[in-house]
Amino acid sequence: MTYQIADQPVDSSLRDYVVRPGVPLFSIMLCGAWMAWPWFAFNAIAMGSPTRRKEVGLCVLAFVGTGALGALLLALVDAGWLPKGAPLRLALLAVTAFKLAITYHIAIIQERTFHVYEYYGGPVRNAGRIVSAGWLARGLVLGLSDNPLWIIIVDGGFDGGLSSALWAWLGVR
Amino acid sequence: MEARQISVLLEQAEVQRRLGNHRGATGLAQRALAIDPDHAGAHAALAAILLDARRLPGAAIEVGIALGLDGNDPYIHRVAAAVLAAELKLADAWAHCLIAIQGPATVPEAYVLGARIRELQGDLAHARELLHEALVLEAAHTGALTQLARLELSSGAPEEAARLIRVALETDPSDHAAHLVAGFIDLARGDIASAEQHARFALQQDATDPESHQLWAAIQARRSWLLGAWWRLNTWISLGNDRRRLALLMGGFVLAQVAVIVTDELGLAGLSRLLGLAWLGLCAYTWFAPFLFRRMLSRALEAVRLDPEF
Repeated sequence: MTYQIADQPVDSSLRDYVVRPGVPLFSIMLCGAWMAWPWFAFNAIAMGSPTRRKEVGLCVLAFVGTGALGALLLALVDAGWLPKGAPLRLALLAVTAFKLAITYHIAIIQERTFHVYEYYGGPVRNAGRIVSAGWLARGLVLGLSDNPLWIIIVDGGFDGGLSSALWAWLGVR
Repeated sequence: MEARQISVLLEQAEVQRRLGNHRGATGLAQRALAIDPDHAGAHAALAAILLDARRLPGAAIEVGIALGLDGNDPYIHRVAAAVLAAELKLADAWAHCLIAIQGPATVPEAYVLGARIRELQGDLAHARELLHEALVLEAAHTGALTQLARLELSSGAPEEAARLIRVALETDPSDHAAHLVAGFIDLARGDIASAEQHARFALQQDATDPESHQLWAAIQARRSWLLGAWWRLNTWISLGNDRRRLALLMGGFVLAQVAVIVTDELGLAGLSRLLGLAWLGLCAYTWFAPFLFRRMLSRALEAVRLDPEF
């Protein structure tokens, strides 16, 4: 019998599927939020993170918060209060900044547990193929709905966090 | 019987902690706590080990448990002060440190920690005073001499700093902090080769220590402007707490994107594209830099192992 330290990960049957927190962080840029946030939540559970409830909660908050900000932005566009051009682009940037900030925050929290998890010799999976598959599936996921709110929520990408389809719909490009 | 067993385990844990074997030390403290989960001293010892291993959230929880079990032990207050100082909660840290200093059978370590906190609070005169009091208790205390040497160096007295650090290293030739300060002193005196020896020794002891990286960066900066700038940027990014790092990343992202949008709206499409590419380049750089940084560090450590004089 041993004493369990508060920051020590608990044993989990999913340990073989743990990846470095930097991988889901990278996937939000390459694949989109649809992949990154659920992946962060899964990684927290697989690692047996003592802060997994907080991490899963932040992932849910990321989806809900982005949805709320996106809905507000689209309502302002529809009401004609948010003109196209620079104001609209800056408003979209605010949504993207929220998405990235919450993602970095989750990654930082998960990194702390991962440091301890690795310290105790926990296995770490190479996820290059999963990220590649996510990148290939990106278009398919974005195409599941033509609602701009869907694209705002699930997209990520290097292009300021939003897809060219969304820019086109908003008539910015 | 149990008390004796716990005492032996904690003594062994302290030996392992001093040797830098954090994993072994943690295991021993955990075994002690498995025997008696309400042993305040064992919780404090575990907090000290976790602090050394840079597991700050765990250390904060453990020391909180220890204080809850025994609020009068000066050792527990000293560990609490060290954990709070690491969290940069300096006023609270000083309050706990004061209890440790004023307690019975005061040890020099309490004064050294107090000096560090006062220094971080900007009161250098009081820090110096506390270090002299530590040296009254133990004339050749490595920690006190090292910190005093650091203060002398930052006050522009490298020769006095060199004298103090020489005494510190004579007392304990394997002290990590003493080697680091010795490296910075040698650098200030222009002895780069000796500074590098100290830096390598410090890195060999703990390759993840940010202060060792800082010394290494300073040495590289003397040798090559470009390489030095690269090392300095990496060290600067990794400094401070997570909130600062997040603010830095998000601030950079928003500024870059606003610049891209504004230049595009002004009809400067070429410049806008260039700014976008520059941001992408920086992202790629910050992604690969830690990997390259680790590779360079392991090369430096290999050189230590191959050095016949090591």
